[in-house]
Amino acid sequence: VSKVAARHEPIARGRSLRGRREYGVLGLLLVTIAVVQCVNRGFLSAGNIRDMLEQCAPFAIMACGMTLVILTREIDISVGSMVGLLAAVAGIACAASRMGLPVWVAVLITCAAGTLLGLTNGVLVTYGKVPSIIVTLAMLIVLRGVTEMIMGGEWITDLPAGLRYLGTGSIAGIPVPVAVAMVVIALAIVLARETPLGRWIYAVGSNPTAAAMRGLPVLRVKLFVFALMGFLTAVATLVSVPRLSVIESGLGTGWELFVVTCVVVGGTSVSGGRGTIIGSVLGVLLLGIVRTVLIFLRLGDEATYWERAIQGVFILAAVLADRIAYRRSEREAGP
Amino acid sequence: VGKRDSGGFRYWHEAALLVIFVALIVLAWILDPSFLRLETQVDLSRLIWELALLSLPMTLIIITAGIDLSVGASMSLAAVVLGLAFEAGMPPWLCAILALAAGAAAGLLNGVFVAYVRVHPLIVTLATMSAYYGIAEGVSHARPISGFPVGFTSVAAGSISGLPVPGLVFALAAIVAAVFLAQTPSGQALYAIGLNETATRFTGIAVDRIKLWLYTSSGFAAAMAAVLFVARRNTAKADIGQGMELDVITAVVLGGTSIYGGRGRIVGTLLGVLLIHETRQFVSWHWERDELNLIVVGSLLVVAVLINALLSHKRAAQ
Repeated sequence: VSKVAARHEPIARGRSLRGRREYGVLGLLLVTIAVVQCVNRGFLSAGNIRDMLEQCAPFAIMACGMTLVILTREIDISVGSMVGLLAAVAGIACAASRMGLPVWVAVLITCAAGTLLGLTNGVLVTYGKVPSIIVTLAMLIVLRGVTEMIMGGEWITDLPAGLRYLGTGSIAGIPVPVAVAMVVIALAIVLARETPLGRWIYAVGSNPTAAAMRGLPVLRVKLFVFALMGFLTAVATLVSVPRLSVIESGLGTGWELFVVTCVVVGGTSVSGGRGTIIGSVLGVLLLGIVRTVLIFLRLGDEATYWERAIQGVFILAAVLADRIAYRRSEREAGP
Repeated sequence: VGKRDSGGFRYWHEAALLVIFVALIVLAWILDPSFLRLETQVDLSRLIWELALLSLPMTLIIITAGIDLSVGASMSLAAVVLGLAFEAGMPPWLCAILALAAGAAAGLLNGVFVAYVRVHPLIVTLATMSAYYGIAEGVSHARPISGFPVGFTSVAAGSISGLPVPGLVFALAAIVAAVFLAQTPSGQALYAIGLNETATRFTGIAVDRIKLWLYTSSGFAAAMAAVLFVARRNTAKADIGQGMELDVITAVVLGGTSIYGGRGRIVGTLLGVLLIHETRQFVSWHWERDELNLIVVGSLLVVAVLINALLSHKRAAQ
């Protein structure tokens, strides 16, 4: 083996490992779909596929942002409460019984509010030097309180048709949430793989000290990913909440951990620097269809109670597979 | 930076918490003196013990730069085991033992994954959080189980020479945790693990075994909290631990334990728990609004951590 080849070997190995995780999740997804389809022919009907994709769309949008955040070795667990607050903001802005603003203004306000919230997280993390898990944990608590306060225990029921369209309408046969998610995923992939900013995000996460020494704007990169996370949370809120006919203050509860879980299952390392958007999207699809799968397997009403247990087992299986692959590759690389 | 300074005053964080605490008491005294009456405080103290118990192992775990997100789920699981065993006609003491065993087993599984499979604790406990909640929901079909005998429910309400039983249990646990952390080689090793795990392994300290014990004790504490909770509320349900993990982490971090590991004390955690408890109860007592509580507690967390960051930067600069 020539010296050059030997030097390049670890990188190549890293790549193939990364590839393996995505194939693993994809394989698990395909096997699950095949099994359920055998049991129940209705599973892959156009209507059901459409339903499942609509359910997964908001999580896929947020998972794109979360992947970038976790790539920089940070985390954002405030997004669940952010969804609640942004839904309240959107509802209050455009419901006829409240402010009654035009829908496009409400959309703008919601996106701006989301970006601002993300930016606040980012500023506290970068310039306040508080660990992101603490900042966003505090935000998770505070924002839920703020939401309950501005909602005052009431529900908003008179959402204008324009806002409902974002969650229930379709463009050329594709549901709006799914179309929006596809655009976001495509842009996120381009951002992560084809732009200098994307390379900086990976560099900052895999070795912050080296990134800083090379003169990369570490703090501004982190600020950007948090702001983007906030913006994407607003987008996810706008395409998911109008699917319901009411807005109440508990929306989004628990979403933060679900999104983080999907990203991790998709192969993104919580120590930063390793992971892909596609992996996270596959993670969302795998965990997002569990409930539908349980219903279509016709195991009876009680089966859906096991949804979270099965999600947990999927995560442990993914993590274990990763460890085994890693150990094997270590052994192969040995003397 | 994480190294504890050799001399001088080391209790800045605790001092800052005490100042905030005194300010709260003064505020309560001005706005609503009835809150400070002894009967009120004793009555409200019934609500503190579950959080307090869980915060002890969480402090030790966070000092090793780990985390346990599954405590709330372990608590739910233990409560459901307790409830189902009771429904099956077992005597209450046996139900409690089974619940404790379930909690310890849940913690042990976390420990095995963290220590021996070497997966990041955040990931392990995120996964087991889903799994334990899921199992608790699955086996109980998410329905409440109640109707426990008076002999069992009096555990939470009972007192020995004027002191509440759960309080005594907690006091004992706190003393054990504090002595372990400050006075034993294994306790001191937790700081070393938090600061530099690889180096600690090379010194021959049994890092894996220590971690296994820590996560197991966390599951056990969650089960103890579950028994106390079920006894207090006379209801076992799969969602009783929901959100508990974040409350516990908030209290521990508020108490000055560094989320990066290597720094923290039981005294700080006790103050953190006390401050959160009193703040919450006072806000509910005086304004009767729960949403205000969330805002106050969250802000308290950020402020405390910001102060801590400023203090430690100042000290590092000196």
